[in-house]
Amino acid sequence: MNSGMNESTGVARPTPEDDGELLARVLRGDERAMAVLFDRYSKIVYSVSLRVLRDTASAEDVMQEIFMQIWRNPSSFVSTKGSLGGWLAVVARNRSIDTLRRKRPSEQVEEMNLASACNLADEAERSILMERARAAVKLLPTEQRKTLEMAFFDGLTHSEIAEMTGDPLGTVKTRIRSALLTLRKAFQA
Amino acid sequence: MNTANHISPDDLYLFALQLLPDAAMKDAATHLKECAVCRAQLGEIQGDLVTYALIAELHTPPSQARERLLRQVAEEKKVIPADPVEQHIEPILYPRNSRMFQMDAPEEREPRRFAPVMAWAGWSIAACLAVVAGMQVDQRKTVQQDLAVATAQLSQNAEQSEHAKQVVQTLSDASAMQVALHVPLNAGAVPKLDPEAHATYQPNTGALVFVADHLDPLQPQKTYELWLLPAQAGQAPIPAGLFKPDANGNATVVMPPLPKGVTAKGFGVTVENDGGSKTPTAPIVLAGM
Repeated sequence: MNSGMNESTGVARPTPEDDGELLARVLRGDERAMAVLFDRYSKIVYSVSLRVLRDTASAEDVMQEIFMQIWRNPSSFVSTKGSLGGWLAVVARNRSIDTLRRKRPSEQVEEMNLASACNLADEAERSILMERARAAVKLLPTEQRKTLEMAFFDGLTHSEIAEMTGDPLGTVKTRIRSALLTLRKAFQA
Repeated sequence: MNTANHISPDDLYLFALQLLPDAAMKDAATHLKECAVCRAQLGEIQGDLVTYALIAELHTPPSQARERLLRQVAEEKKVIPADPVEQHIEPILYPRNSRMFQMDAPEEREPRRFAPVMAWAGWSIAACLAVVAGMQVDQRKTVQQDLAVATAQLSQNAEQSEHAKQVVQTLSDASAMQVALHVPLNAGAVPKLDPEAHATYQPNTGALVFVADHLDPLQPQKTYELWLLPAQAGQAPIPAGLFKPDANGNATVVMPPLPKGVTAKGFGVTVENDGGSKTPTAPIVLAGM
C-alpha cells in the first residue's frame, strides 16, 4: 500500500513540486493522486490525531475528513502556503482538538501561511527534523514542556491550564510562547 | 489584547493554537486580514507548531482506512468540464459568379460558421448535465440506502433498549411476583444438584424473567417448557416459553409473549417434544407456587 513510504517516518520522498502536481491532479479529479497523497501523509496525520484523541476510530475519522477536504477543495491548500505535510500536521491537530471539544472546524486557523523552512516532503530531512524536535523538546524546562503539551495535544486553554497548575494566566501564556520560541531557535541554530 | 494595534505575541500563539475565547478568535481573525505584520508572525508560529507536531509518536493507520478513503473519493467523483476544442470550420466556397455567392453568401456565412459550434456546445452541456444528473441519482440512492440501514439499526436499538428496560423494570418491581421453583417431592430420585429456578412475574404487564440452573440434560428432540399456572380456577396452564439448558445446566426465559393481567398462582416446568406443547405433559420437573 505504502510504496515509497519510509516506515520510520511515515513520509515518502516527494519533492515540493510533486505535492503541487498531485494537488493539481486532484483538482482535475484524479483519484490516483489522492491515493498517493494518502500514502505519503496518512501516517503523520493519523499519528497527530491519535496523540490528541487517544482513540483509533476517532483518529481515523479525523484523517478521513481531512483527506476528503483535500479531495473536495484542493485549493484550500496552495503551494504558497508552505509545506503540505506541515499544513496537514497542524490541521490534524486542530481538527482533533475540535473533535475533543465537539466544535465545528475552525476555518480561520486553517488558513495559514506556514513560514517553515522544514521540508516535510523530504524523507531524510523529515527524519532529522523529528529527531531534532524531540531532542529540543526534551531540553525545555519541565514547566514549559508540560504547559505546551497540555495546550497543543490536550487542547486545554490557558485558563484551564492555569486552573489545573495553579499558575497565573500570564505565566501560562509566556510558557507557551517561550517553549515554541526555544524550539524555533533550536532549529535555526 | 492588541498592543499598538497589533495582536500581542502571547495571544498570537494562543490564536494559532485555537485556544483563545471565541470572541477573541474572531477579533484576531479580523485583524489578521488587515495586518501583514501579524500574518507574518502567525506564519512563523504555525511553522513552530509544525515542528512541535513532529514529536508525536508515529502510528500506521488501520489497513482499511485507505480503502475507506478511496471508496468515498470514488463516490464523490468530480465533474471536470471538458477543455474547449477548437472547431475548424471549412469555408464553403462558391464560384465567384454563382448566384449563391452573389445573393446568399453574406446572410448564410454567419450561421454556417457558428451553427456547428453551437451544436457542439449544446451537446457538451447536455452530456455534462447528464453525467451530473447520473451522479446525483447514484449519490441519492446511496444516501437513501444508508438512511434505510441507519433507520433500521435505530429501530432495532430502540427495541432492544425497550426490551432491556422492561427486564430491568420487572426485576426491580417491588410488586412483582417472586417464585422459586424446585423439584416436586413426588418427582422421583433427586439428582446430585437439585435443579432450581426463579421466576419474577409482573401480572399487569405480563413481563416475566425466568432463570434456572442445575437443569438435567435433555434427551434429543426434547425441550423444557415453562408454564404459567393461572390463579383463576379452571383456567388452563399458559405456555410461557421453551428453553434448553446450556452445558452447565443453566437456562433463561426473558420476556416471553404472555397476556397481560393474568394473575398467577405459580409456575411449572415440563419436558416436551421439540416445538413445545399446548398442554403440559407430566411429570412436572420444576414447580413453584
